Amino acid sequence: MQPEAKMTFLDRFSALRETQFGAFVPVLLALAAIWGYFGLVLPLIDLMSGEADSFRAIFLSPRNIYNLFMQSAVIATLAVGITIVLLLGDIDLSAAATAGVCAALLGVLVLSGVPGWLACIIVIFVGIIMGAAQGLLVAYVGIPSFVVTLAGLLGYQGLMQKILPTGNLNVGDPFVRGIARVLIPDLWGIVLGLAVVGLFAYANLRKQSLRKALGLEQDSAFALWGQVVAFSVIVVAVVLTLNAYRSLPLLLVLLIAITALLGWITTSTPYGRSLFAVGGNAESARRVGMKVKRIRVSAFAIVGLMAAIGGIFGASRYGSVSYTAFAGGSLLLEAIGAAVIGGTSLFGGRGSVWNAILGALVIGSLGNGLDLTGASAADKLMVSGAILLLAVAIDALSRPGNGSGR
Amino acid sequence: MTSEDKMVGQAAPPAHLAVRGIQKWFGGVHALRGVDFEVARGEVMALVGDNGAGKSTLMKVLAGAHLADDGTFLLDGKPVEVTSPNDATELGIQIVYQDLALCENLDVAANLSLGAESVKPGWGFLPRLLRPLDDLEMEVKAKKAIDRLEVRTLQSVRAKVGGLSGGQRQAIAIARAVGAESSVVMLDEPTAALGVAQTRQVLEVVKRLRETNHAVVYISHNMRDIFEVSDRITVLRHGTNVATYTTSETNPDEIVVAMTRGLDTENGNAA
Ligand SMILES: Nc1ncnc2c1ncn2[C@@H]1O[C@H](COP(=O)(O)OP(=O)(O)OP(=O)(O)O)[C@@H](O)[C@H]1O
Ligand SMILES: [Mg+2]
Repeated sequence: MQPEAKMTFLDRFSALRETQFGAFVPVLLALAAIWGYFGLVLPLIDLMSGEADSFRAIFLSPRNIYNLFMQSAVIATLAVGITIVLLLGDIDLSAAATAGVCAALLGVLVLSGVPGWLACIIVIFVGIIMGAAQGLLVAYVGIPSFVVTLAGLLGYQGLMQKILPTGNLNVGDPFVRGIARVLIPDLWGIVLGLAVVGLFAYANLRKQSLRKALGLEQDSAFALWGQVVAFSVIVVAVVLTLNAYRSLPLLLVLLIAITALLGWITTSTPYGRSLFAVGGNAESARRVGMKVKRIRVSAFAIVGLMAAIGGIFGASRYGSVSYTAFAGGSLLLEAIGAAVIGGTSLFGGRGSVWNAILGALVIGSLGNGLDLTGASAADKLMVSGAILLLAVAIDALSRPGNGSGR
Repeated sequence: MTSEDKMVGQAAPPAHLAVRGIQKWFGGVHALRGVDFEVARGEVMALVGDNGAGKSTLMKVLAGAHLADDGTFLLDGKPVEVTSPNDATELGIQIVYQDLALCENLDVAANLSLGAESVKPGWGFLPRLLRPLDDLEMEVKAKKAIDRLEVRTLQSVRAKVGGLSGGQRQAIAIARAVGAESSVVMLDEPTAALGVAQTRQVLEVVKRLRETNHAVVYISHNMRDIFEVSDRITVLRHGTNVATYTTSETNPDEIVVAMTRGLDTENGNAA
């Protein structure tokens, strides 16, 4: 599953893994394994053992896939944010609590008559401040991020309880609810999907021809077309599957759009480059003139932003805000797990926001699949723990052995 | 190099970059005790001294990586401030750090343009940090820089630095400093990890820098290299100046004695 860990596979995979798409291979394989197990193997076993009279592909039914995506969306939003600080070699334990505070605030605001859109903007602003405040402590006071955000986790949990003394609040605002309820019409969903595919193919082919023109080494045709085809298949399959049940939900489109923006920023701008540089070697980054402290603060602000958006998404999807759904529940660990399972290194300098989305799907699929098989909450926790451990072990093994880390 | 003088600070060529009375403390360690140093354009100034003499610390101060606790900077005789790496870069000071200061998780091209990434034109409405990177431009630059150093074993500028050999890394660090716009290039033990042929390349690079009227500072423990490439030699000991010699008028033995024992008769301490 993880080629980097094994020298014998290194050569064969390294060419693929160096490409844009290659880093997704391990997490995609993990996802395929989980889906194959819950979607095909388990129903087959049921069928053979006579427990079921026909092949019931409940897990892979469009309805379940739709729910799976929606369930994973909040985890994914937070995981995308957490990925940004992981790139620096920092961690944010307070993301879920921040999301909780933002969601609670959102609920209270709309209840008191603030229009939904305005409440969302306020809440996003608050989230950014909450993140940046922690970033300031990490960067300028020099407290390790683990400690700062642990304190943040506790403090923000308390804050959420202050805002929501009852621990629960229904959110009926049409704007807020609309984010999760609005569906993109089938046809438009397909058009959107095809447009994205076309753009992706165009960008890749153009880059390739530019490389040729400049006399630079080129990706192999196999790698190039491989990633275009794989990307197209995935996008089209997702859109068609969602259309088969309902339609493409606005929430997913927003999530993908935000992730695409952050993905572009992290990989294709000087700011993104500096995130990786600081994560790889903060002292080197400082010595070439990067503003390491400001970069740290901004990264925590981005986590705050994503946590606020996660809070909005959550409130929208559940139609309510509850303490357990955010601050007090398993959201934080699932989000960090998602980022790490996606292949983002806890040691900094390696990872991608897209991997966080896939990691969130892995976590979401595990939970969903185990639910369907009637597994207990205890089983779910233990399996999730094992998967997380596996992912971190792979991360540790695939680090360059002599790497100076951060 | 007409100088008759072994004393500090009275050099023949007019100094391009000069520092006076540099003091640097690390907690209780007094690493630089009023050091004077200077280098002229078209000159290779060697900086020698035993381990821990303060050579790297002085270079880091000049490059803005460390903030001096006291002392003045002069560029072409005019006082300047160097309080950050950006200040130094803007003054045209480039450095190859002893520890190379590379990011192992990034590829060769990214390391070569680290902190000075090319961006695509036409995105002026965005802050510079958020404009799209021009990856291809950086790769082209990287290829040129690497070709100039003739690092033939390096397969691809898209290889991650973490997977390269020590010598290849050193070559990349040198290429980064040499490739940038600069008037002063400082190399802190640039050949420590290099083989014979690569060391020759670096010495050629240093000579070429001198020919192109750069001010070059060259730190090394290898006397043969120093006598081959330098015009003058500054000796540091225990964080103080011992003396500055004209290479053609001295010999390795004299330098080694100065490094290890200082000047027996008079003390070149300028502090
Ligand atoms: N970051 C630091 N923190 C504390 N002390 C330092 C630091 N950097 C250097 N020193 C101390 O300053 C003194 C000078 O160190 P420096 O690295 O400048 O020596 P050097 O002349 O470059 O030696 P070498 O030939 O071994 O590279 C040493 O005593 C060292 O212990
Ligand atoms: Mg040194």
